[in-house]
Amino acid sequence: MKEELFISGRNIPNVDPYLNIWHWQIPIYLYLGGLAAGIMFFAGYFTIMRKEKDMETTVKWAPFLVPGALVVGLFALFLDLKHQLYFWRLYTTIRLESPMSWGAWTLMLVTPLSFIWVASYMKELFPKWDWKFNILNKAEALAIKYRKSMAWAMMLLAVVLGVYTGILLSAFNARPLWNTSVLGILFLTSGLSTGLAASMWMSKSKYERKVLSRLDLIMIGIELFLIIHMLMGFLAASEVQIEAAHLFLGGEFTVVFWVFVIILGLVFPATLEVLELKGFHIPVWIPALLILIGGLVFRFVMVEAGQITRFLY
Amino acid sequence: MDTKIVKKQQPKYINPYFGGILLGLLLLAAFFIAGRGLSASGAVKLLVVTVVDKVAPAHAEGNAYYSKFIPADGSSPLYNWLIFGAIGTFFGGMLSGAIFGRLKKLRVEHSPKISARTRLIAAGAGGILFGIGSQFGRGCSSGAALSGTASLSFGGLIVMALMFGIGYVFAWFFRKLWI
Repeated sequence: MKEELFISGRNIPNVDPYLNIWHWQIPIYLYLGGLAAGIMFFAGYFTIMRKEKDMETTVKWAPFLVPGALVVGLFALFLDLKHQLYFWRLYTTIRLESPMSWGAWTLMLVTPLSFIWVASYMKELFPKWDWKFNILNKAEALAIKYRKSMAWAMMLLAVVLGVYTGILLSAFNARPLWNTSVLGILFLTSGLSTGLAASMWMSKSKYERKVLSRLDLIMIGIELFLIIHMLMGFLAASEVQIEAAHLFLGGEFTVVFWVFVIILGLVFPATLEVLELKGFHIPVWIPALLILIGGLVFRFVMVEAGQITRFLY
Repeated sequence: MDTKIVKKQQPKYINPYFGGILLGLLLLAAFFIAGRGLSASGAVKLLVVTVVDKVAPAHAEGNAYYSKFIPADGSSPLYNWLIFGAIGTFFGGMLSGAIFGRLKKLRVEHSPKISARTRLIAAGAGGILFGIGSQFGRGCSSGAALSGTASLSFGGLIVMALMFGIGYVFAWFFRKLWI
């Protein structure tokens, strides 16, 4: 008798046993969306608080990053699409129950607003700037006149954008790691923190950096609280959620999560910021860069790990 | 600026003997927590292995030296305690620099008698020799000398004695780089 050994298994790359269809484009987009939301929120906030002069970089200079971040982020999202030529169909419908629809429309409002905000400061920041066409000069005057209204819109839309980057994931019922209501607010807080870090890095004013640093410490505190809260929530839930939490508590993503997100992305920069507030000399780019990298790694970890978690085995 | 802050910004160094005791205690803690001692050159070695493995995987796997450090399970050679130890050392050093007022603008520290360029060339040449030597000796001053001696390895003792003994002798020849 001739014996034959058959080995069967589940090994279809990116499909089974794990459906892995979201790659680098999604975390990049979520990160840049959060960063843009963070910068816009505080630009709007300090404008409303009439602190444009004291917080010049946050209000006037850092928003220059926003249109770029949004365009690059949206391009990454576009690259992820299977049917790229049909992206415009998102704008033929409004579906309140769909986070993607919310996101698409928010971005449709946020992106032009970010361009208008930056344009409204062009002449002030670059005195030699000339719009060349009279209609553009009139549009600029109008934008300056309604700057406060724009600031309110920016703050509101920044919150929607920041929360949406998390809800986009948490709306997936079939992915236990993502399916938590904490994710929306957690991604918003992380986005605000990275936005503050970017503004802080760009700022040359000691007063401004101090204010931003204090705000950032609050954001980092909230973020740590939410992460602990999220993990506790998972551990108190059903088996699939407990397994999801274990990816960070001894499983595959433990090292990258605790070392690069929690320690180097949150705790260590927070320590440096505290030291700076106490009068020690800390080059501002170090905590800022660590926060920015920590935020990016956090998006990658959440998107990658989330795709591994599932209900059916 | 108040005097308290000025005082904080003056570079400060602890007593070297006290520093040595702290280093010994750190080594003990490393053995206790991670089950491994300290290392520095190992992280650089793994970085080199990773780059070679990425650029020329066939060559890395066929090479008796590189292949030893490529994990069989397909994970990255960088996923190793040595790398995390090095990352920790970097950021720990940064924190120490911040607290003791040594974290200033990026600069090249050198003797006033030599230029920054000479210092960089000398450091580069010394680093290359040290890297080669550490691989012949199966470890550097951290991995072989400190961790080796702490675990009463005879090889570690020899490394310790020769590394610092010869360093002491050669320091005379290169003293003009520093004094």
